[in-house]
Amino acid sequence: MKAVTIIKQVPDAEARVRAAGGRVDLGGVTFVIDGMDEYGVEEAIRLREGGFELEIVALALGPSRSEDALRTALALGADRAVHIETDAWLDPLTQARVIAKVVEAEGAQLVFVGGKQADWDSAALGPALAEVLGWPHSDWTTALSLSDGSARVKHDTDGGQEELTLPLPAVITTQQGLNEPRYPTLPNIMKAKRKELAKRDLAEFAPGAALTELVSEDIQTQGRRGVIVTGDAVSAAAELVRLLRDEAKVI
Amino acid sequence: MSTPDRNPQSGAAGARVAAPTGGAFLTERQDANTVLIPEAFDDDLKMFAQTARTFVQREIVPDFAKLEGLDYALSRAKMATAGGLGLLAVEVPEVYGGLGAGKAAASVVTEAVAASGSFNVTFNAHVGIGTLPLVYFGTEEQRARYLPRLATGEWVAAYCLTEPGSGSDSLAAKARADLDGDEWVLNGTKMWISNAGFADLFTVFAQVDGDKFSCFLVEKGAPGLSLGAEEHKMGIKGSSTRQVILENVRVPKGNLLGEIGKGHRIAFGILNIGRFKLAVGASGGAKQLIGLAQAYAKERRQFKVPIATFGLIQEKIGRMAADTYALESAVYRLAGSMDAATDGKHDPAAQLAALNDYAVEYSFIKVFGSEILDYVVDEALQIYGGYGFSADYPIELAYRNSRINRIFEGTNEINRELTVDQLLKRAMRGELDLLGPAQAAMLGRPVETVTAPAAQADAELALANLKLGTLMVAGMGAMAYMQGLEREQELLARVADMVGLCYMAESALLRSERLQGARGGEVALLLARLYAFAAVDRARDLGTEALRRIPRGKEALPRFQAYLAERGVDLVELRRQAAEAVYAADGYPLG
Ligand SMILES: Cc1cc2nc3c(=O)[nH]c(=O)nc-3n(C[C@H](O)[C@H](O)[C@H](O)COP(=O)(O)OP(=O)(O)OC[C@H]3O[C@@H](n4cnc5c(N)ncnc54)[C@H](O)[C@@H]3O)c2cc1C
Ligand SMILES: Cc1cc2nc3c(=O)[nH]c(=O)nc-3n(C[C@H](O)[C@H](O)[C@H](O)COP(=O)(O)OP(=O)(O)OC[C@H]3O[C@@H](n4cnc5c(N)ncnc54)[C@H](O)[C@@H]3O)c2cc1C
Repeated sequence: MKAVTIIKQVPDAEARVRAAGGRVDLGGVTFVIDGMDEYGVEEAIRLREGGFELEIVALALGPSRSEDALRTALALGADRAVHIETDAWLDPLTQARVIAKVVEAEGAQLVFVGGKQADWDSAALGPALAEVLGWPHSDWTTALSLSDGSARVKHDTDGGQEELTLPLPAVITTQQGLNEPRYPTLPNIMKAKRKELAKRDLAEFAPGAALTELVSEDIQTQGRRGVIVTGDAVSAAAELVRLLRDEAKVI
Repeated sequence: MSTPDRNPQSGAAGARVAAPTGGAFLTERQDANTVLIPEAFDDDLKMFAQTARTFVQREIVPDFAKLEGLDYALSRAKMATAGGLGLLAVEVPEVYGGLGAGKAAASVVTEAVAASGSFNVTFNAHVGIGTLPLVYFGTEEQRARYLPRLATGEWVAAYCLTEPGSGSDSLAAKARADLDGDEWVLNGTKMWISNAGFADLFTVFAQVDGDKFSCFLVEKGAPGLSLGAEEHKMGIKGSSTRQVILENVRVPKGNLLGEIGKGHRIAFGILNIGRFKLAVGASGGAKQLIGLAQAYAKERRQFKVPIATFGLIQEKIGRMAADTYALESAVYRLAGSMDAATDGKHDPAAQLAALNDYAVEYSFIKVFGSEILDYVVDEALQIYGGYGFSADYPIELAYRNSRINRIFEGTNEINRELTVDQLLKRAMRGELDLLGPAQAAMLGRPVETVTAPAAQADAELALANLKLGTLMVAGMGAMAYMQGLEREQELLARVADMVGLCYMAESALLRSERLQGARGGEVALLLARLYAFAAVDRARDLGTEALRRIPRGKEALPRFQAYLAERGVDLVELRRQAAEAVYAADGYPLG
């Protein structure tokens, strides 16, 4: 059986990014594999370690630097990687159409997609991919097991949980709690060099005209309120709590 | 004997990283394209570093306090985890379960692990002085027996050279080994042995027939092997340090490591690499401390403003950054040379011989690394003010932990002596042409032009003349004292520092030359110029004091001072700019 895990490269959580001229400036930023995608890779590896004969293919759609994230996936345990190189910004549905072609050509039974991208916060790729493929989809998956051609999953709902079974092939989107991803060992980093990383051109997949266009980007900054809470310690603390709860709504 | 061909890092434009002869930097400038710089690391190195950093974050940071409290079982567990990740196997040949990777690979791991407090010493004593004697001197049988277990962390190693009566003078050890039938019988006391409390394998130095310094492998549990109490130390309290006492300990004849009477080759060869590793760790530690100090300076407000805005705080941060940048540049330049020098050499003895070529560099880089780290931690503490002195903040512990670095792996006094001693030996053996250039420098005139990128040409010119000034003082000292030079330690130490300053400043400039127009290039240029001009000021003082003492030296002062001419660069301004670069990057601005 074959599983495809979608890999996106995102700025490191500690990176400081600026917006300039309606675009986020990523110069000087350190990039890492999206944490959400690590859950997918980890889950695939665990399935294999649990006895499934699974070939794991890591797939990235993005600029040339995405190769580093694929190398990480290979070092974690993916068997080979496919990189569709493009510098273009693509909306999630267009991405899904391209990725679906690779998934079909590979004959994969299982696709892992990060639940939500750490950078642009989009949670659309998984559902869009399932739609294009016409496959069942498990959203925000926190547990997965396979048997007899179907997947049994747990899925978080707002304040609760449900269990589902889906026939394979299926798309699984991941989230925190699915597993605790490992990090690559040094020997596996060295072995990863010998694994195949195939480069593909976006044009091969005739992505067609984008469905949406990115007009401008900005970064949210919040100015300081400059409020100084006065009074004795006990009443000041109470006032601070009130402000944080009722006005800032952060607690 | 197999260590596979390593693929040494490539330099710029496909040029291979070069291995210039040790000490040659004093008379020749290395092509910047053949220098290893962190910005040119390949994927393996970047990913090794990342795994080591993740190990520290996930495994060490959450248990930091417990580890600092000295917990044998926990230390062993962390070593096993490190072993599972391959972090202990970097320099072990592949056939024995290792990675057979080079010193650059080992260095990125060492730098990351430096942020783990006392555990850093546990780790390094194991992978360095604990494991490397077997890597370079073990027989096939010895290597097969021990290396696989050391590489996984199943076993932990300790290195037993020092004795109560012999520290710096390590060859004067009194421990003895006597052959009795098929066994060696060991007697003696070893002092200050790192990892002793939980080690499985002890590498013990002892005299055969009174004065044949030799080395033996002793396993834990051998009858007659016992340990002293844990030492009560100022710092690295989470690292086990005990005496190792041998009373009629019998080991098989085959546990002799290397040859009888050749133990000094092991001791010094391994110390050489240990010195290098210590400097690598210092670079990692200094970077971490810069991050803490700048964050605190931005946060702490006095006189209604962040203390980060004060000139005297910026001056500290600016110097920390420049010194650390030069150290980091020197460390990886040297790592690159070490890997290039051993590339294609399969025999461990040949590898070690190639590595020993850089004995001069190891000695001064150990001195510079430990003293830069001590400077950085001392000023970081100062920036924290009263809170720096408090055990509730991280600097107090870092300050205590840092201090040992000037003492072990050869004290800084010994390493200053060794720097010049090894340099002269290399010249005498004909491995390095120093005599000609030194004579020329004693009679010559300052260089007036250099080929270098315009932005750093002023600093390159200063460096070219710093080298001449250094050669001149070294040459005059050697001529004036001839065989009695070793009695002029103060002079030797000054020459050693000048030699080190040449290498450090040059490494800083080589890297900034490579980074011209690239990411980080402007900051590198700033830090390189700052370091180089400050180095010239320091060298001017050192050389002037030396010449005042050397017979006929006073007459030579004008020539020396022409080499080390005043160049009118405002270092205060450069330090302010360097501090700004640190603030903008929220920490050490490169690497
Ligand atoms: C925490 C800790 C861990 C250690 N771990 C190990 C270990 O794992 N294995 C091991 O074998 N050893 C270990 N050591 C020992 C360490 O290597 C020695 O402490 C060191 O070599 C210095 O020796 P010493 O302490 O006897 O000082 P001494 O040699 O007595 O030196 C005292 C002072 O005299 C100076 N001095 C000595 N000779 C000269 C000279 N010729 N010229 C000028 N000055 C001189 C020294 O620089 C120093 O300032 C450790 C030490 C410590 C403190
Ligand atoms: C063990 C101990 C005992 C003490 N005992 C007493 C006591 O008995 N009574 C008492 O009242 N206090 C006591 N103190 C407090 C002590 O006097 C303060 O720690 C000291 O004045 C520094 O203040 P700070 O720690 O707030 O550092 P900060 O004032 O925050 O200074 C932090 C850093 O910023 C620098 N800095 C601050 N302002 C400037 C500036 N304008 N320009 C340049 N640099 C600046 C400082 O030099 C320092 O390097 C004690 C402190 C300690 C640690």
